[in-house]
Amino acid sequence: MAITVPPGGAPRAARPRGEGRKALLWASPWLIGFGLFFAYPLAATVYFSFHRYDLFSLEFIGLDNYRHLLGDDRAHTAMRNTLWLVAFMVPAQTVFALGVAQLLTRLKAGAGFFRTVFYLPSLVPMVAGTVAFVFILNPATGPVNQALALLGVTGPDWFGDPAWAKPGLTLLAMWGAGNTVVIFLAALLDVPRHLYEAAAIDGAGAWRQFRDITLPTISPVIMFSAVTGVIYALQYFTQAMVAARVASGVTDSPGSSFVPGYPEGATLTLPQWLFHQGFRDFTMGYACVLALVMFAASTLLTLVLLRRFSAFTADGEGS
Amino acid sequence: MRRRLAPLAAAGIAVLALAACTAGTEDAPRLGAKPSGAASALPAATIELWHGFSADHEVKAFEDAVAGFRKKFPQITVKLVKAVEDDKIIQAVRAGQPPDVASSFSTDNVAQFCKTGMFQDLNPVIAQDGVDIGVLPQVVQNYTQFEGKRCVMPLLADAYGLYYNKKLMKGHEPPKTLSELTRLAKELTVRDSEGNIEVAGFMPSTQYYEHSISHLGTMVGGKWYNPDGTSAIGSDPAWKQLLTWQKELIDWYGHDKLEKFRKGLGQEWSADNPFHVGKVAMAIDGEWRNAMIALDAKDLDYGTAPVPVADDKPQLYGGGFISGTIIGIPRGAKNPQAAWELVKYLTTDTDGLVTLSNALRNVPTTKASLASPALKKDANFQTALDVFAHPASFSLPAHINSVYNQEAFAEFVVKWESGAVTDLDAGLAEVDKTINDKLKLAGG
Amino acid sequence: MSVTAAPAARGARPAAPGVASARARAALYWIARHAIAVALAIMFLGPLAFVALTALMTDRQALTADLWPDSWNWGNFAEVFERAPLLRWLGNTMLYAGLSTAFMLLSSIPVAYALARFRFRGRNLAFFGVIAMMMLPPQVVAVPIYLVWARFELTGTLWPLILPMLLGDAFSIFLLRQFLVTIPREYTDAAKVDGCSDLRVLLKVVLPMARPAIAAVALFGFFYCWNDYYGPLLYTSTAPEQWTLSLGLASFRSLHSVQWNLTMAATLLVMAPVIIVFFFAQRVFIEGVTLTGVKG
Repeated sequence: MAITVPPGGAPRAARPRGEGRKALLWASPWLIGFGLFFAYPLAATVYFSFHRYDLFSLEFIGLDNYRHLLGDDRAHTAMRNTLWLVAFMVPAQTVFALGVAQLLTRLKAGAGFFRTVFYLPSLVPMVAGTVAFVFILNPATGPVNQALALLGVTGPDWFGDPAWAKPGLTLLAMWGAGNTVVIFLAALLDVPRHLYEAAAIDGAGAWRQFRDITLPTISPVIMFSAVTGVIYALQYFTQAMVAARVASGVTDSPGSSFVPGYPEGATLTLPQWLFHQGFRDFTMGYACVLALVMFAASTLLTLVLLRRFSAFTADGEGS
Repeated sequence: MRRRLAPLAAAGIAVLALAACTAGTEDAPRLGAKPSGAASALPAATIELWHGFSADHEVKAFEDAVAGFRKKFPQITVKLVKAVEDDKIIQAVRAGQPPDVASSFSTDNVAQFCKTGMFQDLNPVIAQDGVDIGVLPQVVQNYTQFEGKRCVMPLLADAYGLYYNKKLMKGHEPPKTLSELTRLAKELTVRDSEGNIEVAGFMPSTQYYEHSISHLGTMVGGKWYNPDGTSAIGSDPAWKQLLTWQKELIDWYGHDKLEKFRKGLGQEWSADNPFHVGKVAMAIDGEWRNAMIALDAKDLDYGTAPVPVADDKPQLYGGGFISGTIIGIPRGAKNPQAAWELVKYLTTDTDGLVTLSNALRNVPTTKASLASPALKKDANFQTALDVFAHPASFSLPAHINSVYNQEAFAEFVVKWESGAVTDLDAGLAEVDKTINDKLKLAGG
Repeated sequence: MSVTAAPAARGARPAAPGVASARARAALYWIARHAIAVALAIMFLGPLAFVALTALMTDRQALTADLWPDSWNWGNFAEVFERAPLLRWLGNTMLYAGLSTAFMLLSSIPVAYALARFRFRGRNLAFFGVIAMMMLPPQVVAVPIYLVWARFELTGTLWPLILPMLLGDAFSIFLLRQFLVTIPREYTDAAKVDGCSDLRVLLKVVLPMARPAIAAVALFGFFYCWNDYYGPLLYTSTAPEQWTLSLGLASFRSLHSVQWNLTMAATLLVMAPVIIVFFFAQRVFIEGVTLTGVKG
């Protein structure tokens, strides 16, 4: 984990030692939180994963839960879907948010209005926002496909078509990217103006300024957005569930439970499957295995991202 | 850092594990520990009842039903908490802070409730108080117990039948067999010049609202489980019969056309429901549809009948799918004795049940309440009452993985409908395997 | 949604000769930028318009194929107020969101500063630990943690959601750390040379410079709590007097169906105050940026 290697290679030895104790003091409340809300639940999760646990009684069953994962087709579908979201939804959302933030920095008229409008979707409660989105993308009656029809394009069936459901969710994620936009906006406004001026004198165009000045300067924030985006994508739950439910038209009634992942498993994500296994099917031990899979995937992807960004992450140490 | 952190975390875990172990073990009185005497002998208590109803008129109906109990037991204060779902009940019991009485809309979890002891076995108090379980129809007795433990009582029930639009039927009588259904479905279907469906005689798709595979299963008497809890879906020829019949009708419509039509239909619980607006001529639905039609489509001229059945199984005719709301006493209830009196009252008192049924338009669950003159009914609601009382009626058997199994089967059927399955036997065998693997995991 | 082209639209063509044409080009860019912004804004507002239109429909028309209300039922808003104790929910929500945000800032800023500035062995590990705290799926974590709060008999209240904020919030620590590392060391070092303690450096030098980031974190924290549904559901669903607005939103339903018109009307009522908060907050926080003049 070489994330914080100072670019300039500041002489570490020159600093006085002993900041460790100070850091421990400053971070002590967090350390308690870490034990309570991370170490303890993680230990419990690992412990349960070796047991048959129906939320009431515990029975040790060794690796049976892990073995079951190998033959669980729907868990595999869920993993594939979740990975799709990591691979496509996260980059789309990040790039889009950066684009909007960049646009916002250059707006003169009505800047406050636009900033508010682009942030608004983040304030819409998730369920209401998702319902609205599904109806707007309704293939028969929604305005999006009607507008496409005016242009002579036959719009897709969005949340009813296995090939389009995840792109539909990606659009939803872009719509709700307000938090990321605000973070990027704050970072962009922080980029010292004189750097651009100097670059302009050197004859750098807008794209080169963006690549050589903007990106490196805000890279800690891009890293933040990528890492939290990946974690968020791995935990993607509510929107997928609500969209599938609304699009399928099925409500739970006796003898016709809603099958998660409509259409044809295309929106089944790992956390949904985990939730079902743990709380609806009472196989909490197996749900814990799925949780550990998710945790491992998060760790792995985060480490990869941290490493990737280490190349041009300034942490201020060297300056 | 790592060294300093480890002992801290370990200490934290030890303390918390201890806390978790002792939570909820303070012994609450167990049900049936003390024989209950006369009503007045019961000590004063406050009990809490959690239920899933949330609309104002539903909540009021529940209050009204409890009013009779309050009159009978003035010393017992009943506090009702509305809109509680199963997850919440499970969690509260797990944490040792359950209500005294809890009710659930679904019978899906009954096996788990009984097996884990999450709800207390009512058999001892039923025997002690001499409650006659025979007042409940057999099918209702079945879905409220698991492996000899009766841990919940039925509160109200749903019964499914065939709804038909009289105008669209063009004078035909409702079908009694699958072949009649097929013939009528084809005859009543209206298409436009491009072959798109405008009115469907009958929707053979299991993704159409209440046409789920478990509801359609009553048409052929499909068996879900073997006595040991393993799947019987692959080995019971009835399912193959149903799926083959269904696929034939789907292919007649064309799967694409059918899906396009289905996706353009209004929401199930809205005024736009396709049966209300005359887009389907016949549909399988629960008894609540009567109340919805009365509310949203007053002018609809419709009739109800039992669902049609396989031509070679006429003995099934008259039955249908049945499910219902259940109510019981969670483990750790603080006043189990008072709680039992309330459960007993709500589930066996004729007046209470009729009050609830009249307000919610669900089927009351005891034979006496079914026959009560105070029960509001018309010919269409009567069909539901008849189906409910019919010996061939069917409910999903209690199974510890009930939901999972339904999903596994339903998912396969959707694939089958689309034509992606070439070998039906192999596909059903795969469903068996999925269900049986899960059973093994859950230790059933 | 082709906005991703926005940065590229600013094009990298060599400067054309002549002041007049440069001015014309600038005007063109100005128009192009604002046109894109307007188009985007319309798309962003679409789903909100849907929410607003649904809020004005009758219960029966809501979520039908119609997008336009047959009749304008302004009474829906009044009905929401009549049916639901909105003020009580508002009070609970303010308590939850306000205290959580205050606690979160109090506990997270020092940790973020320590991670960004102090040099110590295991710093990378601690940093990764912060990120790791976000990685455990909340659905699984909920079970063991719920039992702890049940042990302290705090379930049925909002405290299980508020008190943990005193122990630092991973998302906020991470975000703050990422902003704090961009503050050049010269500033803090200079203050230290002047004899300032770490705490004074943090309060007098770092905090003013990090104001936009802190404002952002505070806003996110506040809005997160404001809209949090699962937290209050987990701990207070059977204690209606403790409900928050977002939890209350889900109460406009009956056995089989949700009353979407009332739900959407309530959604708008719940959103209105935070939209206003954001509109004013974003100006303050942009001013904050220009005021500190930052590192230039």
